[in-house]
Amino acid sequence: MGNVESINSPNSILVVGGGISGITAAVEAAEVGYEVILLEKSPYLGGRVARMNQYFPKLCAPYCGLEINFRRIKTNPRIKVFTLAEIENISGKEGDYDVTVKLTPRMVNDNCTACGKCVEVCPVERLNDLNYGMDKTKAIYAPNPLSFPTNYVIDTEVCTGAECSKCVSVCPYEAIDLSMTTESVHMKVGSVVMATGWKPYDATKLDNLGYGKYPNVITNVMMERMAATDGPTQGKIVRPSDGKEVKSIAFVQCAGSRDVNHLPYCSAVCCLGSLKQVTYIQEKNPDAKVFLFYIDIRATGYLEDFYRKVQGYENLSLIKGKVAKIKEDPQTKDLTVEAEDVAQGKKVSEPVEMVVLATGLVPSIADIKIAADITYDDYGFIASQPPGIYAAGCSKRPADVSNSVMDATGAALKAIQSVVAGGQNG
Amino acid sequence: MNNRDLIKPDSNFTKEVIGLGGESLKKCFQCSTCSVVCTLSPDDKPFPRKEMLWAQWGLKDRLLGDPDIWLCHQCNDCTVHCPRDAGPGNVLAALRNYSFGHYANPAFLGKAFRNPKYLPLLLLFPVVLFLILLGATGNLTIPEGEIVFEHFMPHIILDPVFLVLTGLIFVIVAMSLSRFWRDMKKSTGSPKSSITDIISGSAISKLIEFLQHKKFYECGSSRIRMLSHMAIFYGCMSFALVTASVFIGTYTVGLELPMAQYHPLKIIANLGAIAVITGCLLIIVRRLSAGKATGNSSYLDWNLVILILIVTSLGILTEVLRLADLATAAYVLYFIHLVLVFYGIAYFPYSKLAHILYRSLAILYADSNNMGGKKTLSPKPRKIRDSEIEI
Repeated sequence: MGNVESINSPNSILVVGGGISGITAAVEAAEVGYEVILLEKSPYLGGRVARMNQYFPKLCAPYCGLEINFRRIKTNPRIKVFTLAEIENISGKEGDYDVTVKLTPRMVNDNCTACGKCVEVCPVERLNDLNYGMDKTKAIYAPNPLSFPTNYVIDTEVCTGAECSKCVSVCPYEAIDLSMTTESVHMKVGSVVMATGWKPYDATKLDNLGYGKYPNVITNVMMERMAATDGPTQGKIVRPSDGKEVKSIAFVQCAGSRDVNHLPYCSAVCCLGSLKQVTYIQEKNPDAKVFLFYIDIRATGYLEDFYRKVQGYENLSLIKGKVAKIKEDPQTKDLTVEAEDVAQGKKVSEPVEMVVLATGLVPSIADIKIAADITYDDYGFIASQPPGIYAAGCSKRPADVSNSVMDATGAALKAIQSVVAGGQNG
Repeated sequence: MNNRDLIKPDSNFTKEVIGLGGESLKKCFQCSTCSVVCTLSPDDKPFPRKEMLWAQWGLKDRLLGDPDIWLCHQCNDCTVHCPRDAGPGNVLAALRNYSFGHYANPAFLGKAFRNPKYLPLLLLFPVVLFLILLGATGNLTIPEGEIVFEHFMPHIILDPVFLVLTGLIFVIVAMSLSRFWRDMKKSTGSPKSSITDIISGSAISKLIEFLQHKKFYECGSSRIRMLSHMAIFYGCMSFALVTASVFIGTYTVGLELPMAQYHPLKIIANLGAIAVITGCLLIIVRRLSAGKATGNSSYLDWNLVILILIVTSLGILTEVLRLADLATAAYVLYFIHLVLVFYGIAYFPYSKLAHILYRSLAILYADSNNMGGKKTLSPKPRKIRDSEIEI
């Protein structure tokens, strides 16, 4: 995708991040006539939303919304998309930003038809990061089943390179080029939308909850992949330890969030996320007992209706009390979650077959911290930006999809104003 | 609603608990991580989550009569794991400190003892008392010749003073404990609570547990802390044993003081002193270095450990000065030692040292009413409505 000559268009808007916020900002700005460059670090667009099973508000599959957006991008000549692209540097001011972007080679060009012959011959496997390491792909793989761009990609960290070349020889379309190298592209743009999104908090840091130690303790994002029919278990909710269908399950809310030892803030989406996942269990494992341990259920606005609906599910016990200990039976790999049922003033020790930690949201940008006069809060969210740079979605606070989309639309408008004013906003 | 109690919030009480070291109590959001990580907390009505709510609401009566605040041995696992830094361990410690002053009469002494401002005044009392006694017996000067403390402060004078003092304190403590007992009954509404029930029940087994520091051991986050407490406890027990033996010895078999260095009682006392000083120093080092895991150390916490350390060190130092034949220094330090011993006994009902009685009583009470149980496991969680939430 894209051309790798330098781009010099001070009237264009750079969108950093190709998740739901970045896509929204890009499409909204382009559709009213502005040039947009959309950068995405991974090999595909859609970000975290693409990895959901269903998403709010309508609980549709992610491609329901993403495909429409992909189509808007494909048919709009004003949007240039770069995947495997990362910001190296931003300097300048509103109306006149100099940006350096690093492009990691995909090793597969636009001739690729996703026929899959290369995958058959590839001898190397890698953990599938799309599925949070729950299964494997070959070193050459389709980024995701409905990926945009559809081109396959080679994981250069594990690919053995030119000496193997089995994929190159089997590809009927000369789509694979192992000689591609990392490139730096220089761009001049008028304004920037930072839509760098989020990643799940590292659950191994929650040492009392056993993630990483006990195979049947998974996280909420893993549950999304498990419930998805294109996920590692083809949509079956089964135990990682033995593949057995789950008959009892506990959701642990605030796993890291609202905790001064981890993330002091509320991650905003995990309550509804878990309630949504309860509906997955209800649909796929209808006999399973479900326990959901919480401090408070934070269902805001119309989401209260959804909460009320799930409350009525007869196999669900909602227990006010935070899980502070999880134990494992080393033989059966069954788990016991311990909490106080605050409403009754009794400790609860509940044996279950699987536990889902509702881990919180961490800003992805916390790792990269682009200079350019952006300031970050204590947790790495963007706190303030100079005129000409606008944060959208989860780069500035935890948010759900619909709020991110609204936010990104607003950011697009601000970015347009910066371009139109040509640096006169500051 | 009919069978529910009206609650009586007391915001001044909350403020006092905040002032006594529970300063973060309002941060608590009732997630109950604390009750779950606690290794001593029972399965039914576990602590300290409910105590945090009661403290926030100023429910003084429930808290003061709550045996659970004494079942806590303050390992501070709760404080370390608390997601809000609300410091439940500190709040329980503050409630215990509040209790000493609350139950002991006269109340003004409790208030004065809690306030470092009044420390000089509280010390002045024994100083003046001993000076008067010395003056009355013509001993205001340093005695000539071999150092014999008996010549300076004869036991015939000291013993009645300390006997009367101890008797008085005994009465005050007995009254305090009976009020505490009554409050526990009122607050928990337990059916089984007569003293005889309890003594005939578990007193012996609990005493053995206590001598072994079993609960301290279960509260497993710091072995050093348990060992320090053991060293101080058994050291002090050796002092009590030696003091009682000497008292009986002087009046029955005419035991002469000072005893020889190789006298068994002397050896026991000196070993006890080494244990106490080591224990105190370990506690002080830990308090200064272990951060959150030691919790907030309040004035009352420091008051006790420093008092014990100084009294014991002065005892040893006096002994050394006596053996070195430095008369003036030895007599002066002996005087200070006596003043501090008097301070320790006279203000015992208001000091943290009284925990030995409150805690024992609360443990017995809880045990005889099956409040400390770990057996009632896995009550089935059920759906709740907000109106069902009990406090």
